[in-house]
Amino acid sequence: MTTLLNKTNKKALIERLNIFTAFALGALAAIVVWRLSLAFLPADSESAPLFTREDKITLLSMIAWFVGFMTGIGALIGPFRWVQGKDLTHEENMFYAGKDLGVKRYFRYTTDHKVVGIQYLVITMVIFGIGGILAMLIRTNLGTPGGGWIHPQAYNSIVGTHGIIMIVGTIIMVTGPFGNYIMPIMIGARDMAFPRLNALSFWLIVAAAIPLIWAQFIGGISTGWSAYNPLASQAPLGMNGYIMFICIFAISTMVAGANITTTVVRMRARGMTWNRTPIFIYGVVASVALALPAFPVFFLSQVMSGMDRALGTSFYNTALGGSGWLYENLFWIMGHPEVYVILIPAVAALMEMAPVFTRRPLFSFNVAVMGIAGICGLSVLVWAHHMYISGWAPLLNAPFMLTTELISVPTGMLFLVLVGTLWRGRLWMTVPTLSIFALLWNFMIGGITGIYLSDVPADAFLHGSMFVTAHFHYTLMGAGLTGAIAALIYWFPKMTGKMLNKRLSWIAFWLTQIGFNVAFIGMFFVGLQGQPRRVEAYADIFSKGNLITTIGAFTIMVGMLILLHAVISSWRSGVKAPMNPWHAKTLEWTVANPVPLENFEVLPTVTSDAYGYGRSK
Amino acid sequence: MSDLRSPGQDYFQSKWWKRKDVKQVVVIWIIATALIGYLSSKIQVIAMGNPASETMENVIHLITVFTWASSPVAGFVAALALQALSQKRHHGDNPPPEADHNISSSPRATAVWIIISALLCLFALVVGLIALQKDDQALLDRSAIHVNVTGQQWAWNYDYPGSTGVRSNVLHLPVDQPVVFHVTSKDVKHSFWVVQMGVKIDANPGYVTQTAVTPNEIGTFDIRCAELCGLLHAYMQNKVIVESKADYEKWLASQPDTGHTTWTAEGAIE
Amino acid sequence: MSLDTHANPHHEHPDVVGSRNRLGVILILVADIAFALSILFVYFYLKGQNVNDMWLPKATEDTPAITPLSSLSSWYVTAIAAFGLLAHQFGLRGVRAANQTQLKLGGLVALVAALVATVYQNMQIANAPFTFYSGAYASCYYLITILNMVHLILTVFIAFGNWNRSRLGIYAHDHWHVDIVNIWWIWMTVSSLLGAFALSFA
Repeated sequence: MTTLLNKTNKKALIERLNIFTAFALGALAAIVVWRLSLAFLPADSESAPLFTREDKITLLSMIAWFVGFMTGIGALIGPFRWVQGKDLTHEENMFYAGKDLGVKRYFRYTTDHKVVGIQYLVITMVIFGIGGILAMLIRTNLGTPGGGWIHPQAYNSIVGTHGIIMIVGTIIMVTGPFGNYIMPIMIGARDMAFPRLNALSFWLIVAAAIPLIWAQFIGGISTGWSAYNPLASQAPLGMNGYIMFICIFAISTMVAGANITTTVVRMRARGMTWNRTPIFIYGVVASVALALPAFPVFFLSQVMSGMDRALGTSFYNTALGGSGWLYENLFWIMGHPEVYVILIPAVAALMEMAPVFTRRPLFSFNVAVMGIAGICGLSVLVWAHHMYISGWAPLLNAPFMLTTELISVPTGMLFLVLVGTLWRGRLWMTVPTLSIFALLWNFMIGGITGIYLSDVPADAFLHGSMFVTAHFHYTLMGAGLTGAIAALIYWFPKMTGKMLNKRLSWIAFWLTQIGFNVAFIGMFFVGLQGQPRRVEAYADIFSKGNLITTIGAFTIMVGMLILLHAVISSWRSGVKAPMNPWHAKTLEWTVANPVPLENFEVLPTVTSDAYGYGRSK
Repeated sequence: MSDLRSPGQDYFQSKWWKRKDVKQVVVIWIIATALIGYLSSKIQVIAMGNPASETMENVIHLITVFTWASSPVAGFVAALALQALSQKRHHGDNPPPEADHNISSSPRATAVWIIISALLCLFALVVGLIALQKDDQALLDRSAIHVNVTGQQWAWNYDYPGSTGVRSNVLHLPVDQPVVFHVTSKDVKHSFWVVQMGVKIDANPGYVTQTAVTPNEIGTFDIRCAELCGLLHAYMQNKVIVESKADYEKWLASQPDTGHTTWTAEGAIE
Repeated sequence: MSLDTHANPHHEHPDVVGSRNRLGVILILVADIAFALSILFVYFYLKGQNVNDMWLPKATEDTPAITPLSSLSSWYVTAIAAFGLLAHQFGLRGVRAANQTQLKLGGLVALVAALVATVYQNMQIANAPFTFYSGAYASCYYLITILNMVHLILTVFIAFGNWNRSRLGIYAHDHWHVDIVNIWWIWMTVSSLLGAFALSFA
């Protein structure tokens, strides 16, 4: 290609860097540091209370991978150019945005929000694919009572890996693809506020993925996704992979949070006042803004976990003055806002679709905003309901029960908005429309079972049982993933220029929803019977419920495979989509397919909200 | 179902409770509430089995109450959803004509909705607090016996009062006798769950936690670890044998003393 | 429709870009503030719990008792950081008054202060009379000082860039970068102060 950036014939550095240099440099750095630390790190002294050398070597190699990868992809160029005083020129910025790069731009540090959106979409699907395979392994193992065919250590590791990557997958499933691709167009902006940070947040996730895969070969993550200490500190070396994964992912989330929030606050189109801003935007901003103060706490908990392992400190080691309750507090201070980080954008996406598919205005926009704000506000005050029975502070159980139950009020508001929009609408039966009904059903079950769990005496029975597992799958998968898949179908035409195959997505919808309800109602049942979570073997009385769950799980798998097939085949050779296939009124449907590099030739001016459907009387 | 898409001029003139779609919703609501409440609570009670203590009876009672209290909400949402689905549905690649109204808010409906959800929330809170109060009282019962529970990977051990070191790995308890458990762990976090008695408390290394229960059924019940604690977590379970006071005393006397006591005059240590 | 017809977004007014960047930096600082506050939580939680009486382990046959260090050195680091902050603000006042020399001088002094603070912080960590194994207080001590060290290294990087850019005359027209660096300096000083504050309650 031409070397527009340089007068000589040599390619400039930023033209040379891509995913291959990143992987090469990362691997090289990891290997070099591994060899060096093997050679030079002193052996553990016999008198030390803990052996830390192996953990030091593993963590150092992983950090080297991270630094090498980020250097190799070109993440450091911006900061160093700033220090040098040579800010990027317009041509360089256009190169970064992927101008005229064709398909290559998807494998570079490309700053165009549409490229980042597609990258997020693909990585989300990969994550769900891997997490789904792990779920199938778990369910196969649990198909019959007694010990399964998977070794307990491997089983525990599968459970932990399934948990954490599904959590990460669900965190990015809406704000990643649609928050990046659709949101800037929806608010009438040409790009994100900080395009390079946008690329950074995506490539950090790729960088984070490798330590997690690495972990599988050095003992796995045998602690469940919550990685409670001190169990995590006695777990094999694979825990270091978890620690690195979480730390890098937390940085990615913080960067994305600052970026998306700034974009929405500062870059909305002229005339797009807060009450003309689509509800989906509120959902995305609420989610990332909530993650902003929450994830650093998780980051810290893992930094301390790593220090305990690799340096021998005693944050969680009770023999030397540490406390497991400290970990639980830090973990859940992040952990509970995090479930709303997952849920809110998915529900908001369905609220965005509801007026389009009922051809009437969104019911009570203000209530929707209040509901989202209320959930965000309360969600930082409820973390200890995960710790009712840990005994850390029995006196605080009652106040946390209060805040937890209060959250049902703003959650109820979201229900009101959805059913209110269905009321006297004209139903256009599409998969997103059906998804609204599916969300009402699943989220209702997830919400009501949440009330049982919020109650301290009932939680003393239910905590740590399969009931909890079923409950959060109903919220995160039944509500969250349903919303995300609806969002994929809804925005697929804009993102790919093709319509998603209707018949296949219809079949996939019914299979996954039916399979889902079969699977997790069975799981509620065994939970009430008294089956603990995360067990690889169980007594005979639980066998019926578990068999039902396994059958349901395989039905979901078939549905998901059909959906995957629909996505791939439609993307490659689907029907070409019109500019505005749903006849919707938000700004993203006013730009052509494929969306031009800078979205809008002329920046739009907004004069009303996007829900002006229905005839006035 | 009739077509509501051409309701005529008088739709908004008539009183709201006389409208056809409102009546449909009310009917579906009542049916759905009864169905949801009855079926869910029935299934829950079947799943949870026979309680072995008053605490567990309370848990079952609470869950039934919550189910019945929330079934009108679930029924109402279900009714609105079903009513929406029962109208004429539009298929095809192009949208149906837009709705015949553009209602974008209803302060009255919103207010009613929020007040009712707040009241239900308050109700759940009060019911929960009453039950919680009972559980907390049980911890202070002066007539209770005390058992020390130690979790370790992957077994439970029980130390009994009044002895210099009776230790067992099957829990024995006298019936109708309040008992307070002092729970701790030697290595990682475990969770001590007496399933049919409805009590659970985490066993934390470095700390001692308490929970209390009064078994009221003679029989053998399950104790399981409810917190992932490593390799053999699934197998970290054993039994509790609840027997008559006399049988219990006889059993306790028949056990060898290890000489290692976990008791002082003041009560349990570690 | 608006009259905004220039299709090139890279020619926005510096004030618009500046306010956008300021908001972005403040939001990232929200994350860092949450991080620093949770460190305080860790410190006071472990101190309050004193599990197994090992916040400050007693003397054993092999090891002496751990005694809390004077927090004075942490306060010194904070003082040096505060001095750097003042120097940077001196430079900022300079650039606001279109005095490039004052900007360069302030930036240079701030850079030196950041360097001195980093070296001093490093000495403080290296000279601590205990190891990582010495109980919860020692662990928290390392956590707080290492976090401050990371902050200071970042500050050296930023202060160097700031000084270099002012040396090159980049801030002749607009100076929102200098304003944003000032925000960083303020937070860095405050977080250093929070650390010293915590370490004063051993």
